[in-house]
Amino acid sequence: MDNVIDVSGLVKTFGRFRALDGLTLQVSAGEVHGFLGPNGAGKSTTIRSLLGLLRVDAGTATVFGKDPWHDAVAIHRRLAYVPGDVALWPNLTGGETVDLLLRMRGEDPAASRRAELLERFALDPTKKGRAYSKGNRQKVALVAAFAADPELLILDEPTSGLDPLMEQVFNECVAEHTARGATVLLSSHILSEVERLADRVTIIREGRTVESGTLDELRHLRRNRIRAELDAPAALDGLPGVHDLVVEGDVVTCSVDAEGLPGLLSALTAAGVRNLTSTPPSLEELFLDAYRTEPVAS
Amino acid sequence: MSSLAGVRPLAWQAVRRDRLMLALWTLALVGVCYASAAATESLYPTTAEQVRAAEAINDSPAIVALYGPILDVHSLGELAMTKLTVLYAVILSVLFVILVRRHTRVEEESGRTELVGGTAVGRDAPLVAAVVEAAVVALGIGLLAGLADLGGGLPVAGSLAFGASWAGIGLVAVGVTAVACQLSASARTCAAIAAGAVGVLYLLRAVGDTSAAWVSWLSPFGWSTQLRAWSGPRWWVLVLYVVLAAVLVGVAHLLRQRRDLGSGLLAARPGPADGSPRLGDAVALAVRVHAPSLAVWSCAVAGLAVVFGAIAPGIGDLLDSDPAREMIERLGGVGVLEETLLAAILSILAVVFTCFALTVVGHGGSDEQDGRTEQVLATATSRSRTFAATLVVALGGSLWLLVVAGVGLALGYGQDFGALLGAALAQAPAVWLVAALAALAWAWRSAGTIAGWVLLGLFLTLGQLGELLGLPDWVLGLSPYTHVPAMPVEPFAPAPFTVLTLLTALVLTLAWTRYRTRDIG
Repeated sequence: MDNVIDVSGLVKTFGRFRALDGLTLQVSAGEVHGFLGPNGAGKSTTIRSLLGLLRVDAGTATVFGKDPWHDAVAIHRRLAYVPGDVALWPNLTGGETVDLLLRMRGEDPAASRRAELLERFALDPTKKGRAYSKGNRQKVALVAAFAADPELLILDEPTSGLDPLMEQVFNECVAEHTARGATVLLSSHILSEVERLADRVTIIREGRTVESGTLDELRHLRRNRIRAELDAPAALDGLPGVHDLVVEGDVVTCSVDAEGLPGLLSALTAAGVRNLTSTPPSLEELFLDAYRTEPVAS
Repeated sequence: MSSLAGVRPLAWQAVRRDRLMLALWTLALVGVCYASAAATESLYPTTAEQVRAAEAINDSPAIVALYGPILDVHSLGELAMTKLTVLYAVILSVLFVILVRRHTRVEEESGRTELVGGTAVGRDAPLVAAVVEAAVVALGIGLLAGLADLGGGLPVAGSLAFGASWAGIGLVAVGVTAVACQLSASARTCAAIAAGAVGVLYLLRAVGDTSAAWVSWLSPFGWSTQLRAWSGPRWWVLVLYVVLAAVLVGVAHLLRQRRDLGSGLLAARPGPADGSPRLGDAVALAVRVHAPSLAVWSCAVAGLAVVFGAIAPGIGDLLDSDPAREMIERLGGVGVLEETLLAAILSILAVVFTCFALTVVGHGGSDEQDGRTEQVLATATSRSRTFAATLVVALGGSLWLLVVAGVGLALGYGQDFGALLGAALAQAPAVWLVAALAALAWAWRSAGTIAGWVLLGLFLTLGQLGELLGLPDWVLGLSPYTHVPAMPVEPFAPAPFTVLTLLTALVLTLAWTRYRTRDIG
């Protein structure tokens, strides 16, 4: 199937600052795509380019196969967007704002799940925009986004102001929308959230894509942490793919590449294994790895 | 004392942020003082002419309502400062409404006060710093205004007393705004309350000066006349300004202590839980956002216009002497006296309505900077519609206000309905051109809308000072307002109307060409 979002070689400069520097991003239909990066990595700039708000300097970006700069309105009919920092109209109530955003997307608020979502997010729709806290402003935008059935949801750090209970509601909403076949681009630096929700992940840093793939694929690229209790000392030194080896009496700890695993296992088995634990890297570790400027000394 | 910690750095920071605005305002206001002081003697070389001019002003209730009376007809200083004593003092007070609100409620609404409050800054420091900064500015402008009069050849005592009256008005405006900014959580509502209070004080004085004199004593603007700066000043009147300002600042301080950060004393009422079905696109949104302020503007304009329309017929009845008639003609132009006054009022209103249009364009810029425009553009709303929405309200709103003013004047005047409405509408292209230039600045970059205010200030100063300074015609002609005929005195002139309208269209086209191709944000 075609990619819903297809970005390659995207460059965007602000004066001398190169915010995007050859960024690549592919989001296929029906998936939840985690878009990870630290603050200032270019996540919001990418999203704003995808919405046609910014004019990029080089590279191509398409959403639904269309150019966001030229076909913004046609693309926007099919998506809903929640910005990272939601600004509301000071003298419009939350309810008015939800309805306004829905109507401007061509949806009928009365036919939407607006009432149900207001309840689930525990949002008072009669307060004026200026009176909402950051979390509640975010809820206003989330209710407007989730109330109808857009084909694509673009969510820029959508839970940064929500408490854990509301994060749970948010996760359920994302699951409901993917269940009906929607595509979700979820930018975040909250790794656990992406780990729970995302099918595939793109990690960016300083405007470039560092890693992209399913969580499983990314794990393949990374070392498992092995801890084994042995009957007899094993000759593990110099085995290919084995790093950070520490032997303390009969306990061995090391990390191992995917390619080194068979060799390590047979060496351990030969020595007689009493106990073995293998821990896959968390996204946290992948993330830290991707951002380590210097390559790790092995 | 700790609640005042941080006043000094905050006040300095305020001065730093305001330095360009303060320089421009001071230059314009002090420049007008100097030019008026220096030019009046050549306008009326003999004492007899000066007395005639002063008597002519006193004989016309409408002009007295607008500028206040002249207490000593033999005083050159009082004649020279006719417009400045009260009417320009109103403009001066606008500066202090802007200053105090900008450093108190606007900061609070944006959340910056919270950020600053988290540092070693006392709870009362932001309000005190804003008051201190503004008060120093008031005293400074007052002193410079006095010196400018002195430099323009007016007597020492009078010049200083006049300058002191400006400083006094400035201090009172600081106090009024300080109180207004405690009342509502909305910076816009606070501005409306402060501006409304200044307007009421001005009108109180107008009523007092034209009917019962004691009413004028209820308004600081009345004190500026009653100070009698130019002949035996009543120096004790200056105490009134200081006391009133101190009381107002004290009240503001008490109110501040009784409320939480970010809240106002007027409780925020809940609004509708559902949006109106009509509130569904960018234009409807812009109309909805600006409707409350447009409604307040309309009521204020309608009231003022009816009052001035009603006062206007007084001139002709009272002015039978030829010299007086000649004087009035010299004050405002040619033709029927009453109509001269109506034309003058309309030309003032045109500038005032430009302020409305500039506010709307300014909102377009801040919507974009705050990220609201981004949300609108992420829906199925095109850039052209978003851009047009702001312009529709800016241009349409100012046109509507001109209609209200024309109809109001005609109703008060009781005749010439069509002529007055036409005269009001003839101002539209000048208002539009300035609004369009502000839109061009906005299209250039979202933070550019301030350029509209700078231009308006420039055009105003040109209009006030240009002739007095003898600037060449082409410089005067830079201001679009100079090309509007003084209807209903002068006939409608199709050429400037067409040229200004075409220029507006051209500037808007340029603005759109830029806006459609630039980054949003």
